Amino acid sequence: MNRSQAEQKLQQIFNIDHFYDDQWKTIKRILNGERILLIEKTGFGKSLCYQFPATQFSGLTIIFSPLIALMRDQVKYLKSIGIPTECVNSGQEPEENAEILEKAKNGQIKIIYIAPERQENREWLEAVRNMQISMVVIDEAHCISVWGHDFRPAFRRIVSLVRLLPQNFPVLATTATATKRVAEDVRTQIGNNVTLIRGNLLRENFHLSVVKVHNEESKMAWLAGFLKKHAGGNGLIYTGTRVNTDLFSSWLQFAGISASSYNAGLDSESRKDIENGLIENRWKCIVSTNALGMGIDKPDIRFIVHTQMPQSPIHYYQEIGRAGRDGLPTRIILLYNPEDRELPEHFIKNSRPSMKKYEKVIDALKTEPMGEWNLMRATNLTQTQVRVIRADLIDQGIIKEVMYGGSKKYEYQYGAPQLDTRPFEELRNFKMAELEQMISYSESSSCRMDFLCRYLGDDTVNHCGKCDNDLQKDLHYNLSEDRQKKIDEFRDSYFPELEVETKNSNIVNGVASSYYGISNVGAAIHRCKYENGGDFPNHLLKQTLRAFRHKFGNEEFDLVVYVPPTESGDLVRNFAGKVARTLKFPLSPKLVKITATKPQKIFQNSVLKRDNVKDVFLYRDESGIIGKKILLIDDIYDSGATIKEIGRLFTKLGAEKIAPLAIAKTVGGDI
Amino acid sequence: MSDIQQYAYWMALAHLPKWRTEKINRLIVEILHELNMSFYDFFEMDQKSWSEEFHFNSKELNDLDIAKTELPNYSFLVEDLLNQGFELIPIDADDYSPTLKNNLKLKYAPPLLYTKGNKSLLKESSIAIVGSRNASDISLEFTKKIAQNTVKSFQVVVSGFAKGVDRTALEETLTANGRSIIVLPQGIMTFAGGFKKYYSRIIEGDVLVLSAYHPKAPWSVGLAMGRNTYIYGLADKIYVAESDVKGGTWSGVADGLRKNREIYVRKPNPGENNANDLLILKGATPVNINGDIVQREELENFEEQVKNVLSSKPLTAKEIKDQIHIDIDTRKLSSMLSELTFVVKEKDDGKNRYRLKNSELIQTNLFDSRDI
Ligand SMILES: [Zn+2]
Repeated sequence: MNRSQAEQKLQQIFNIDHFYDDQWKTIKRILNGERILLIEKTGFGKSLCYQFPATQFSGLTIIFSPLIALMRDQVKYLKSIGIPTECVNSGQEPEENAEILEKAKNGQIKIIYIAPERQENREWLEAVRNMQISMVVIDEAHCISVWGHDFRPAFRRIVSLVRLLPQNFPVLATTATATKRVAEDVRTQIGNNVTLIRGNLLRENFHLSVVKVHNEESKMAWLAGFLKKHAGGNGLIYTGTRVNTDLFSSWLQFAGISASSYNAGLDSESRKDIENGLIENRWKCIVSTNALGMGIDKPDIRFIVHTQMPQSPIHYYQEIGRAGRDGLPTRIILLYNPEDRELPEHFIKNSRPSMKKYEKVIDALKTEPMGEWNLMRATNLTQTQVRVIRADLIDQGIIKEVMYGGSKKYEYQYGAPQLDTRPFEELRNFKMAELEQMISYSESSSCRMDFLCRYLGDDTVNHCGKCDNDLQKDLHYNLSEDRQKKIDEFRDSYFPELEVETKNSNIVNGVASSYYGISNVGAAIHRCKYENGGDFPNHLLKQTLRAFRHKFGNEEFDLVVYVPPTESGDLVRNFAGKVARTLKFPLSPKLVKITATKPQKIFQNSVLKRDNVKDVFLYRDESGIIGKKILLIDDIYDSGATIKEIGRLFTKLGAEKIAPLAIAKTVGGDI
Repeated sequence: MSDIQQYAYWMALAHLPKWRTEKINRLIVEILHELNMSFYDFFEMDQKSWSEEFHFNSKELNDLDIAKTELPNYSFLVEDLLNQGFELIPIDADDYSPTLKNNLKLKYAPPLLYTKGNKSLLKESSIAIVGSRNASDISLEFTKKIAQNTVKSFQVVVSGFAKGVDRTALEETLTANGRSIIVLPQGIMTFAGGFKKYYSRIIEGDVLVLSAYHPKAPWSVGLAMGRNTYIYGLADKIYVAESDVKGGTWSGVADGLRKNREIYVRKPNPGENNANDLLILKGATPVNINGDIVQREELENFEEQVKNVLSSKPLTAKEIKDQIHIDIDTRKLSSMLSELTFVVKEKDDGKNRYRLKNSELIQTNLFDSRDI
């Protein structure tokens, strides 16, 4: 097929009249059974480079993509132009996925989108053995490389697969963001004879700038001013932590700006709803961790503000890449406080658990094959730690992931090599050097677009003519006293939510008076609990009551129940008594522990925490719970396992509502 | 040529439907060694060049065409196998068992092995202990003794993982801290229970699990029978604890004797109901309960006695039994008599009678392997 023949078909099928040169270059080679790594900026039209060939092959094209939102959009579009396309993902019911796999086996589908994790799924692996496959596509291929900004262990198996595919089987890997080093790494990983096709990276409509500030309050105040007076359209605010998504969006709402928050801790339904809200411009802005935006089909994101600098220029380029795909002027702003290096530095330094923890996992797996949860039980490590360690051990060939019936277990390997920590150190040093580059970007006085493009291997920009440096603006922000007052006011009325609602329990989301660890509340609790400081002081009571009023208003409760302590001590009982007296609800001391538990804080993961409190509570007056609305009080809310277990018990006993109230909520916790 | 990028091709060829092992092996040799092609080149050829170069018939051409379209699917399966810690050992790989190749040759040696565990066991000196699933206590006793001896001499015990002798050999070997190769009667991906059971011994390097079948193939009688060939093939020496006159053990040993393999058979006690002495008659080396070689005296006595009583006139098996006072049933005596090269059977008056071959009156050579 020559280009004009192909473009005729392109017109018929896609209603597009021509290919860009790089598109045709790619497609020609794909049709010829070659392997291509295609690096083009967002908006180039990478997807046509596999969608078109997919319509020309006799069999099925499999597209591995980590972005569920993107899959959904593309499936909708391809179906609308008559190309039978489906996606299989964990957001869909198992029956629906099974039906799609059946269709694929019967040759009723041309294109199937699946998440990389699917390559570990039994049903998928069984089904794919009976599909006629013509091409494999790896979207977001930078996820293959640890030298990139978003390495994902789930891509490991796709890499192994591609290396095993027949030599003349077409494979296309695409990404918008890869340094030379990442591109080289991806190429060598997916096998010999990979042709690299790379376009230019300049985003002409971007107005890049950096605003220098001295503290968090300045960022909050600047942001409120920017959104009220200067920002056209709708956009995204990126924060460095989940806690800050909540803090900043609450602040913006407090300042009268319509904002929502988004992070990976939300359930998939809420996430989907917010993604839709973004597309519909339901809010002026969404405050999010970098989990939002990847693969969302919204061409008119008008601004992106980072309240925290990312780990590296490549992270930054990738995150801002989601904006302004319609080509209209788009503002890209970084709020920069030199102290902000601490957060990414912390992430980089703690990206790997200690060697002792690796040994713990290895030793546990020498006794018997274990799944993830049993491994967490056996080692008392957090889920995140177990996952990081597991991925490294698999990568080094020390353990393998083996199917036992329907469940996945990890096996130590005969003749396994010793753990090699040198790659970890090398990677850490590399990431520290990248962070220095990010700081250089923030402090640079030359063209910012040129800086980013050079970093990514494109040195054709020189002057974008639109960034703050090219326009010779030096942007600083100093906080006024008025603004500071307003922020103090906000802080006094800001209470973290306790998210415990589930379908099977009558427990509702509760509230804490503060975060543990980022305010003086934590210190006060610690003094009372561990340094014999006596009852919790009155300011904690006042603050907690304010949180209660903020969340529950004048709602009446039938009973105040408190979490019985692990070790002796009446702190929580006394505190609950004071709350009950003030609110004039009756206090019940009838919730007891029937088996001794260990302090939850010694368990590092939620599986062990849940095991520790499972079935340990008893209410001494079971019939007294029926139809009651219960306020459930604890001092520190951590994983929520205890609160949820009590919620489960009270729901079983017929409670109408269980509302948790805590003095402080810890930051972090897993799952 | 046996790097992992070739594995999908190996699987596609090894599992060509209803192709004899020898045919597959010869094709592989022809492609890789005689024509010096790669599998990739081979599968790039179309039907026309295939038939010109290799003279395939239409069924074979069709099979190869299907195999070609299934190559990507085999890639998925290979990835799954490797991810789960299984290894693939093609027949031309250095890791392939030299014993197996040498014993079975291109005719029966599987083109592709699937393993998990310490594959260097394939290079060690090895024995197999074989016998029936319902072996007697004394046979199991023998099995344990041989397993212990094998462990003491640092050899590897090859086991078929069947009930009875097989399983006893394996367990005794592992109890004695020895090393074993488990040869599966099924695909290697269907053995989760076994992998769990022998986990610690596998990761310590004491056990290698091996299958020559498609990794997803479930257990079947056919595969179990076929597996015996691989057990015999993987062992340098074979010890027979107990054999019936038919079945896997019998045919395996008979075949082994034809190929001059080193085979040791437990000499049965008087009154045992099995075919061990028949195998000894056929030429296997008799051993006692401890595995020590015993003299063939008794056997030679038996032959002398038969010669004596038949020297005057032909007799029925019953008559022979009465005259030489041998304590076995008549049916079995008949089988033993038919193994003697100097005796012929005649039908007379509706009765089977045995007489000496004329030539035997002067011949003293008792064993003629051509006959077995
Ligand atoms: Zn510029």
